[in-house]
This record gives sequence, structure tokens and C-alpha cells, in this order.
Amino acid sequence: MSRSPLCKPWEHTLTRRQLLGAAAGTAGTIGLGGLGGLVQPAVAEEMKQKEKQVLFMWIDGGMSQLESWDPKPNTQFGGPFRAIPTSVPGVHISELLPRSAKQMHHLAIVRSMCTQDNSHSAGVGRIQRGDPKNRGVTYPYFGSAVAKLMGPCERKLPPYVWVKPGSSGFIHQDAGFLGPKYGALAFGDGKPPENLLRPDTVSEADDAARQKLREAANRRYGELRRPLANDANSYVYDMAQTLMRRSDLFDTSQYDPRDVQRYGTHDLGRHTLQGLKMLEAGVRFVKVNSYGWDTHGDNFNGHLSLMDKFDQAFSAVVEDLADRGMLDHVLVIAMSEFGRTPRINGHVGRDHWPEAWSIAMAGTGLKRGVVAGATNDKGTFVDTDEYDIGHMFHTWFRCLDIDAFKVEYDNGGQPLPIAHDDMQPITAVLA
Amino acid sequence: MATTEELKARFAPNEVQQLTTSRQLHTLRFSPCGKYLFGGGYDAAIHRWAVEGDEPFKELPPIEGHSGWVQPLVFAHEAGLLFTADSWGRISAWNYADEAPEAVWTVADSHDGWVRCLSLSPDGRQLASCGSDRMVRIWSAADGTKQTELSEHADDVYAVAYHPGGEFLVSGDLKGVVKKWEIAAGKSVGEFDASALYKHDRIQDVGGVWRLEFSRDGKTLACAGTAPFGGGTVQGVPSIMLFDFDSGQLEHTMKLGAVKDCYVHDLHLHADGFVIAVTSGTPGSGQLLLQVPGEDAPFFSSTKMSNCHSISLHPDGKRMAVSATNRGSNGNGRQLKDGEYAGNNSPIHIFELVS
Repeated sequence: MSRSPLCKPWEHTLTRRQLLGAAAGTAGTIGLGGLGGLVQPAVAEEMKQKEKQVLFMWIDGGMSQLESWDPKPNTQFGGPFRAIPTSVPGVHISELLPRSAKQMHHLAIVRSMCTQDNSHSAGVGRIQRGDPKNRGVTYPYFGSAVAKLMGPCERKLPPYVWVKPGSSGFIHQDAGFLGPKYGALAFGDGKPPENLLRPDTVSEADDAARQKLREAANRRYGELRRPLANDANSYVYDMAQTLMRRSDLFDTSQYDPRDVQRYGTHDLGRHTLQGLKMLEAGVRFVKVNSYGWDTHGDNFNGHLSLMDKFDQAFSAVVEDLADRGMLDHVLVIAMSEFGRTPRINGHVGRDHWPEAWSIAMAGTGLKRGVVAGATNDKGTFVDTDEYDIGHMFHTWFRCLDIDAFKVEYDNGGQPLPIAHDDMQPITAVLA
Repeated sequence: MATTEELKARFAPNEVQQLTTSRQLHTLRFSPCGKYLFGGGYDAAIHRWAVEGDEPFKELPPIEGHSGWVQPLVFAHEAGLLFTADSWGRISAWNYADEAPEAVWTVADSHDGWVRCLSLSPDGRQLASCGSDRMVRIWSAADGTKQTELSEHADDVYAVAYHPGGEFLVSGDLKGVVKKWEIAAGKSVGEFDASALYKHDRIQDVGGVWRLEFSRDGKTLACAGTAPFGGGTVQGVPSIMLFDFDSGQLEHTMKLGAVKDCYVHDLHLHADGFVIAVTSGTPGSGQLLLQVPGEDAPFFSSTKMSNCHSISLHPDGKRMAVSATNRGSNGNGRQLKDGEYAGNNSPIHIFELVS
């Protein structure tokens, strides 16, 4: 019989006590050499062959497709900006993406997204969970799905990390019915949990003793609770222990200043660069996000400012992944919960528009330098086959060598499809 | 200087006419001869209306040739020219009174991208421009030849204005830096601090000096925009900062509404010492305000119009045009009207200003 707990360990930010308890005499040790520079070429080659990974850039609030991947210059709703040529002949994108235009030969753009929700409150979850058929369960976010289906990479770093503005914590809600173990480990502003390292005042022996005590307490705790809860509890400690071996991941002072400038010194630039380092270190799924894109007012000045930062970070990471051969095994996705209305409102803003918007991708399993789907001349609606987020989940799973028509979740004996069962991958972008 | 009560008695805007448009306008300006009203559109067109006495304004065919958005509209009275610029970098001069105006001259790539503002020198010989490429440039008004380039701004330059004395030019940018340029020397000789009109929110630069306007005597410089509250859906208090031009000291900051009212989009410093301003913020909100600097409240205000973007005083001083936005301009997701996805438009409200 389970004891009713007052609270659940995974609901807490990783605390100093938890981390100290998890130290196990490994504090301050470094696993594979500092990540101040790149992973050594031989190591990168090994990872390239063995490990598929994901970089998921979440632009929260809604990036305008008209000011990014699907410009309609000189039309009624086109806005003030021009379209510019890219490294792929015949493909034009907004002038607000000059650096990304030079990386277009690595990219796969879908311009015919048509999704179901025009609110943030429901849309964010619905999109990141793949909007499957309602089977009475809460589906996992894509990052949690990948963590469950693929597990951690060989180096056993946490499989799903989130570098974000704001606070840190363990975001168990992302995991849905998979259980809290598959949630996101969030690093607020890219910083590690507080007091990651073992203080000098605690000896290794004392630390080891504390670890034994914790393990004993954990066993006792687990005997009286559901395995799911105990698994998650242990998982939080295990991750903390792993991270303590990789404190270098958070030492941004060791980054090449030229990289810092290339990616941008703003949040999105710093976090994307840190995301790259985490991929190089062997994290399976890295989410990087930017808030503040809900431009109902002053959309055009807003995008003029915001897109510059996105363009800087996105183009830099695509270029670096390509240069290192990592696009062969890393899937890059940049998207929002929807696009923005073609209609320009009185506040010179654009509102929410799930009817016709764009997603940018690059990397493993994808064709390079392609655009799939199209909107009409004014950019108001999709003119070709419409793609919902379920199509994207099928596409992404295919890129990761997961057959979404064969692989299922097991929800306590209930088989559940991992992507919308009426949708298919978008073959136009698949390699 | 008239008292507020006297101003209130003399200037009581009364709407007498409304013009419909099929597209949205950025800027509205009466020609100096008073016979035309022009509107720079989001559709790259320059819309026109003929103005004859008290007759209803008559719409004329628009002037075509620009791309993107047409934002600045500036006149050279004696030369009979209208100078226009667009968001793709083109500046053109037009014989605005012609039946079908042709461009007298055009500079296709005056700036790399968005030309935000134009200003004509008091002697009518120079045209200053500024843009998103952070540059201020001075052109011959007669033929569009570039004369000077001023390059000290670190951010997008939103506004430029000649001092009535003709010796100085001011330019204001995204971060609220207003530079005072000595034109003959081609260098900046001072700055006004309008940084209250800017905020860095998350990764977004918000606000900026949207309008610069001198009083007729050149003693006061008005810098208009918003005191930003936050980015994304930008909110802020519509604000006008009034500086003593000689000393550079801030004399007043006029706060013209609530956070939802956001930007002062356009303003006019009236010869009688008050400010006429229009604001636009959260869709549906819009204000027309007549207020004396230093007073706490306007002596006239109207919130009947939605999202007001531009204001122009007729040369006779008795009439005024305000461009606003149709009601219900916003909304998420698919909204069709008669099966069509409709755009918004800018109704133009014509007021009698003098009671």
C-alpha cells in the first residue's frame, strides 16, 4: 500500500541538499575533458555514427512566417520587408534572416503547416505533444518522447535538457503519461543547479557516507510507494550525480569568444551555443527556447529586433553542426506553436494564425536545401497539402530511425501510438 | 500665451467628414497649398484626395511606384514637390499637383531597407533621410544627389528633423539617442537623452524615438514614442519628451494615456503652444489629444477612433485629418467575411478644429 506523500521529489528544483547527497565522491571530476573547445574529432566521429540527437529551438509566442520563412513582399499583408535570395537558387526568405539565407542549402522548410489551435494556453502543449487522437491520456512532449524511446546517449548524460531563460527545475509535466522520469531537466539561463560542486568542507569520505545514507533512505522510501514515483526520485539523484561530473558544461567562460560573438551575447545566442556544447557532450535531446514572440502589437519593429537574434543563433548552430559533420546525426527543428495572422491589426501587430505557417529544420534524415508546401499569393492559406503537427512527429521519428507505425508506447498495458495514427511523414523533406 | 480655458474655447475639434479607404495608411499629410490630402500606404501606394472648400474630399487615383510601405511624406511648397520614401529604400520626388504625378527623381537604394523619415531643410534645398541601416543622409531636394552621410548612430534611426534655423539637424534612434548635427561641419555636436522611450525586454529592443518635431521658434524639441512597459505585444505609456533645444535639458514629459495606449504615432506642435497628438495601442484603443505642455490633462480628448496613426493640420489651420483603424481589426485564427479573408483599413476623420 502506498503512503500518501506530502510532495514529490521531482517537483522540486534540484537543491543543494539533493546534489550534495548525490555527489558520491565524484565531485569536481571531469569525464571526457573540458568542453571549452570542441569534442575531439575522433569522439565526434564516433558519436556521429552511433547517436542520433535533437536540437529543438522553441520560439515561444509565435514567429511570423511572413517575416521569416514565407515572405510575401509587396502584397496586401506582406508587411514592410523584402525577400532575399538564399544559397539555394530560387528559394527566397525574409530579409530579416540574412545569415540563415546563407545556410539554406542545409535547411528543409515546411511552408504549409495548418494546425488546430490558435491559443497559447492549449496550443503550446498541443503542438509539443504532437496533437494525437484523444485517448484520455496526456501525451509526452517531443523531448520526453525521445527520452523514452531512445534513452540517454552512450555517455549517460540526461536525455532531455532544456536551456531556457528564467528558472531551473525538473519539468516533469513534459512527460505526460510516460511518468516524471522522462521530464525535462531545465537549466535556467544555462546555469547549473545551485551548489553543483561538493564544498571543500565536505570530505570525499563524508560525501560517500551521505550517499550511502541517501540510498538507504531511498530504498525505504521506495518500498512504501509506487515504483514510478521512486524511479523518478532516484532518477533526479542520478542525473545530479552525472551532472556533477560534467560541471564543465556550464563553464561558459571557457567558450571561444569568437563563438560567443557569432551566436550572440543575448539569451538566445548564449543558450544555443550552450545547447551545441551539450549535444557535443552527448545529450540526446536539447531544447533551447526564447520567450516574448507574441507580437500582437508593433510586430514589424518587434520582428526586426527579435529575428536578428534568432537569425544569429540559428544560422551559427546550423553552420557549426554542418562543419563538424554533426548534421548527419543531429536533427534541428526551429518552430513556434503557430504563425501570425496575415492581417495587420490596428496596433500594427499580427495575431495568432495556425492556418498557414512554417517550420524550419535541418539535419539527419532530411533532404537539404528544400522547401515543402506552399501558401497562396497573399500568404493567407495553404495552397498545397496541409501538414499538421502529427505529420511532423511522424517525420521527426523517421529521421531518428523510429518507425512510428510499429513502435508504440505501453501505458500500463495500454498500447498507444507514438504519433497521430491518421497521419504520415512528409516524404518531400525526407532524405 | 492663451490659457487652457481660452484654448478649450477656441479649439474644439468637431468631426465633419469621414473618408473610407480600402487599405491601411501609415502617414497622412495635407499639401501646403491645401488642395490635396495624401496618405502613405501599407500597400506601397500614395493615396490622394482632392480638397475643395467644404466639399466632400474626392479620392484621386493613387500614385504607384513604391514598394513595401510608404511612410514619410514631406512637401517642398515653392517647388511643388512631394517627397516620399518606402521600406525598401527608395526615395522619390513628385510634382504632387499634377493629374497623374510622375517621379521627378528617384533614388532606388537611398538606404539599405526601411526609410523611416524624411525632413526638408527650411530653405527647401536639402532633404534629410534616415533608416534602418543606422544612417542619416542628406540629399539635394532638386535632383536627389547625395550630399552628406552621417553615420554615428549605433541603431536604427527612426526620426529626423531640421531645426527651423537651418543650421542643425536632429535624428533619433531605437535606443532613444537623439543626435544634434551641425550640418555644415557634418558632425554631431550634442545629444538629447530620450532613452526613457526605450526598453530592452528579454531579447527585444522596444520603443524608440518615433517622431521628432520642433516648435516654430525652434526653442523646443519634441521627441515622441512610448515609455515601454514590455515587448512581445508592446505596451507602454504614450509619451512626448520636450527638450530645450539650446541647453539640451528636458523640460517636460507628457504622459498621454495608460499602458494600453502605447505609442504616440504622430504629433503637431501648434503655434498656440499646445500639442496635438494621436496614439495607438491595444487594438481598439486610440486617442486624439490636445494638451498644453506642463498641464496634467488634455483640454480636448477623443477616444472614439480606433488606433489613430497619423494627424495632419490643414494649412488654413481650421481643419485637421486623422487616420485611424477600422473597428475589430484584430483576432486570432480564421475569420472570414463573405468567404473572404478581409484586411483592415484606415478610415480618415476630418475635423473642424476651430470653434
